[in-house]
Amino acid sequence: MSNTIEIKVPDIGDFSDIPVIEVLVSEGDQVSAEDGLVTLESDKATMEVPAPEAGTIREMKLKLDDLVSEGDVVAVLELAATGDSVPVENDDSSAGEPEIESDSVEPEPEQDSRPEPETDSEPAVEQPSQNLPRVIGLEAVDPAKVPYASPVIRRFARELGVDLGRVAGSGSKGRITREDVSGFVKSVMAGAAAPQAATAGIGGLNLDFPSLPEFDFSRYGDIEKQSLTRIQKISAGHLHRNWVGIPHVTQNDQADITDMEAFRLANADEAIAQGFKLTPLVFLIKAMVASLKKFPQFNASLDSDGETLILKKYFNVGIAVDTPEGLMVPVITECDRKGIMELGAELAEISGRAREKKLKPQDIQGGCISISSLGGIGGTGFTPIINAPEVAILGVSRSSMKPVWDGESFKPRLMLPLSLSYDHRVIDGAVAARFTRFLASRLEDLRRLTL
Amino acid sequence: MSEAREHEYDVLVLGAGPGGYTAAFRAADLGQRVALVERYPRLGGVCLNVGCIPSKALLHTASVIDQAAAMEEHGVSFGQPFIDIDKLRSFKNGVVDKLTGGLDGMARQRKVDIIQGTGAFDGPNAVRVETADGQKKLTFRNAIIAVGSQSLELGSMPWGDPRLMDSTDALELEDIPDQLLVIGGGIIGLEMACVYDALGSKVTVVELTPGLMPGTDPDLVKPLQRRISKRYASIHLETKVSQVDVADEGLVAHFEGKHSGTETFDRVLVAVGRTPNGGKINAKSAGVEVTSRGFIPTDQQMRTNVSHIFAIGDVVGQPMLAHKATHEGKVAAEVCAGEKSAFEARVIPSVAYTDPEIAWVGITEAEAKQQGMEYGVGKFPYAASGRAIGNDRTEGFTKLLFDKATDRIIGAGITGQYAGDLIAECALAIELGAEAGDIGLTIHPHPTLSESIGMAAEVFEGTVTDLYIPKKK
Repeated sequence: MSNTIEIKVPDIGDFSDIPVIEVLVSEGDQVSAEDGLVTLESDKATMEVPAPEAGTIREMKLKLDDLVSEGDVVAVLELAATGDSVPVENDDSSAGEPEIESDSVEPEPEQDSRPEPETDSEPAVEQPSQNLPRVIGLEAVDPAKVPYASPVIRRFARELGVDLGRVAGSGSKGRITREDVSGFVKSVMAGAAAPQAATAGIGGLNLDFPSLPEFDFSRYGDIEKQSLTRIQKISAGHLHRNWVGIPHVTQNDQADITDMEAFRLANADEAIAQGFKLTPLVFLIKAMVASLKKFPQFNASLDSDGETLILKKYFNVGIAVDTPEGLMVPVITECDRKGIMELGAELAEISGRAREKKLKPQDIQGGCISISSLGGIGGTGFTPIINAPEVAILGVSRSSMKPVWDGESFKPRLMLPLSLSYDHRVIDGAVAARFTRFLASRLEDLRRLTL
Repeated sequence: MSEAREHEYDVLVLGAGPGGYTAAFRAADLGQRVALVERYPRLGGVCLNVGCIPSKALLHTASVIDQAAAMEEHGVSFGQPFIDIDKLRSFKNGVVDKLTGGLDGMARQRKVDIIQGTGAFDGPNAVRVETADGQKKLTFRNAIIAVGSQSLELGSMPWGDPRLMDSTDALELEDIPDQLLVIGGGIIGLEMACVYDALGSKVTVVELTPGLMPGTDPDLVKPLQRRISKRYASIHLETKVSQVDVADEGLVAHFEGKHSGTETFDRVLVAVGRTPNGGKINAKSAGVEVTSRGFIPTDQQMRTNVSHIFAIGDVVGQPMLAHKATHEGKVAAEVCAGEKSAFEARVIPSVAYTDPEIAWVGITEAEAKQQGMEYGVGKFPYAASGRAIGNDRTEGFTKLLFDKATDRIIGAGITGQYAGDLIAECALAIELGAEAGDIGLTIHPHPTLSESIGMAAEVFEGTVTDLYIPKKK
């Protein structure tokens, strides 16, 4: 007997219903362990689901554009004969289906109308609408899996659109009562009326813009339609919310990086020898960490009550990366514990993966603050949009030689324009000016980073 | 603008079985203009006409015959019964007429239009009906597909011979065969076997799997199996009928498997399952998805992939039970009327009206084991019930399954007299999330068989006094 296993979608972070953008194998294919089976694309990252072991794909359960969540079955894999103890696939028991009488006569082979036990999975494959499929069997009665509420309370919750899984029961042993459901609704309503909601104090906005009229652009000349990439579509929503929902102020400053640049160039070859390019961005990350330590309110998020600041004791910096598919912000973690060279190597590695669409969900989570550098392209300043729930973002433009008066004469100095956008609800203008100056001063004399 | 006027009907229900007429009546009660399309002259579908109801009328008769015979042991002899098959048939037909006639009346009172004829979709908002007066086209805003299922016919059988029957034919009671072969040891086969046995037939049951009523916990089936093994000519398990030949003296069945050889029967009943009718209504023209087996998938609100077309009952999937269909019918009707209804029942009870009866609800012990669930069992034997002893029917028991972590009831199985009536309390207990204590502390009337449910909960709790259960060391 051959051993088959179901390959399931692994932990993909806090995502559900993410699309399959690529199917890499088909039924009958031989695969080795770690071979990719399908590619999933979550919020801003793509990931492959690999084969856990070598074997033959017996059945593909997913097709292009299917939406999947953790635990969904990707494929059924028949293991290459190794004789190890992998759990054998065990599905559709025909138990509990009383009206199917068992056959005592074998139907003619050509007559294929015998009603085989219908498994639950069939309706689930083609999900007709947004409603959940019906649950029968253990899942429907297991107290660990169903809310503790009577049928009429379940109906009441449905009428109000309440997910009973989110309601705490006040009855005996956590039984959910009618009052618990209505109380839940009241608390949600009260929460929404306040000026803050779920995402870091943004939401509840109801802007009454006049809508833009439809234009027929083809009346004026040739046009071509191009749909936004998936990443653009997702970031559009985030950017719009953050731009409209957060009172932005942008503080501009300049850092004299003449000495830093000399130091960078002096060490460039060593970096190349280690396989990466030492960019000014690495020094910016180090200066950022020092500034966050000095001004902890920048390493913070506004709590959903809108009245509490959550201060973070870790130092993860998001780096905006321009990719062909759109803007991505991978996060470099524990920047306070990494040296310049280590950060440089990691920065090169993660930006490379962002451009190759190989980021995992974990790679774009947990940032404290972001840096968006357009220095490689040009510009003298811009207003970056805060990547909520962060409270500030540093924009970096192109450095240029400028005459700087040192008290006696003009000296040619390499000046780097910095643009810090901050959430004015959390950060005052004076503090923002001090933060930006502090950050600039770290770049101006790297020795200060050791202070 | 009046949307309702755009189409003749707010809701068109295709099929007037228990699911269909319930959906139609509920929709009408919610103010919808409703059409009910039914191919047969009488409402009620399989359940009322050729299923649940007539079979239960006959099973009642069978039960009285058996109980009268059993009185002999108690010193009361009625002698051999004389059976007037025509009169019995007309009693059964009378039961059906009464119920279906009642439906006609209720449809009239609710102003539901009944269109008799075979309906099929003609696009996403219309149904064509072949009526006695020619073809009619009806348009609708919402439709509910309730076209049910039919007995599965095995193609290898000589269906032209009237001695070969499906369950509908068997309920017609053409005659009482001396030798009856029942192919299929599931609920329908065993119920019909029970009727014909009481009427005097020598019954043989043949079943392909190793046990009767596959899918039911084996301990629940055992009392039935013990009783019918003694009464019936034979029960052949792990045996199939490879062929049935027509002969003048009867139908010759060829057995293969554990039992082999050929035997001649006066009649043969094929009860090997039912097949859904989803493929017969031109659902494609409305864009409704039908599986290769003829089922129509739906979501919790009974919507098909076409959101204004619903499906309910047997055609939606297992279990094919009237009480499931009626609940689904109400959900579909309420959603059509704009209510936020959904099918949220956790469990659907099943009953075999054999003698003894077998009933279960929630998960079975086999499922709990298979899923590795931490469960506990409270089992109370009928042999310890004063009422069962008085009835001289002590075979059977009540078994409750509880989640060990919470003591909440998750399943129940009852075998014995009136198991089908008793199981309802267990279904309610599961839906309410009752604990063993809730059931045990509810005072059950004495002396009844319903006490066995309270006692079974007490067995689980260790508080029972009507049994002696040695303490676990």
